[in-house]
Amino acid sequence: MTPEELKDLQVDKTVDARGTACPGPLLEAKKAMGTINSGQIMEVLSSDEGTKKDLPKWCTKKGHDFMGIVEEPGYFKVFMKKG
Amino acid sequence: MCKLFLSLIKKLLIMENKKMTMALFSGSLDKLTAAGIVLSGAAADDMDVDIYVLLQGARAFKKEIGDNSDKLAMAEYPDLKQEFLNSLKQLKVKTWVEFFKEAKELTNVKIHICGLAGKIWGAEKMEDFIDLADDICGIGEYITSAQEADVHLFI
Repeated sequence: MTPEELKDLQVDKTVDARGTACPGPLLEAKKAMGTINSGQIMEVLSSDEGTKKDLPKWCTKKGHDFMGIVEEPGYFKVFMKKG
Repeated sequence: MCKLFLSLIKKLLIMENKKMTMALFSGSLDKLTAAGIVLSGAAADDMDVDIYVLLQGARAFKKEIGDNSDKLAMAEYPDLKQEFLNSLKQLKVKTWVEFFKEAKELTNVKIHICGLAGKIWGAEKMEDFIDLADDICGIGEYITSAQEADVHLFI
């Protein structure tokens, strides 16, 4: 998906993990994923650079769909769909 | 029928969680923090984790120590302890005990304290250790666990 498409996406869950360092965003994502249903979309807000690599890999391993990353001033959003 | 059985077995094998065994020899602030972060990664991955707390590690698991940073030393850069602690606080990094606790909530983590190690530091019973500890064990159990693990770490 393009960043424009991602920006217009209706998300079911937002996890604000800004201000936490690794492994904060990963654990927040894991916990929140447990609260949504298969097919629902979640965005994780993070300012921790390592998250950009961590979350896509985690999605692949856990059978979730990594949809892309959108840069925002001072942070970024990682989009994923629960598998 | 046989084919069906085989595919079922295969499915079960794939679904089984990966296993990590950690020998936690260290009882220092920096290495315990590192162990906590590694453990968090394993928890995010739903791994089954067995931690064997050896020698110096057992001291940190004593009730009167835990995450009391005044009672823990640094293994590396001992003179930079305060700087390290300040940075952790500023970055909102959890204490090692908090990392371990959170991992236990998220995945199957069992913490075994080496009986000899406990005795060396004057702790012989379960009630001498913080709540994180599950049991006191011998070295044979650690070796068996390490043999069966997908990931084996010595920290």
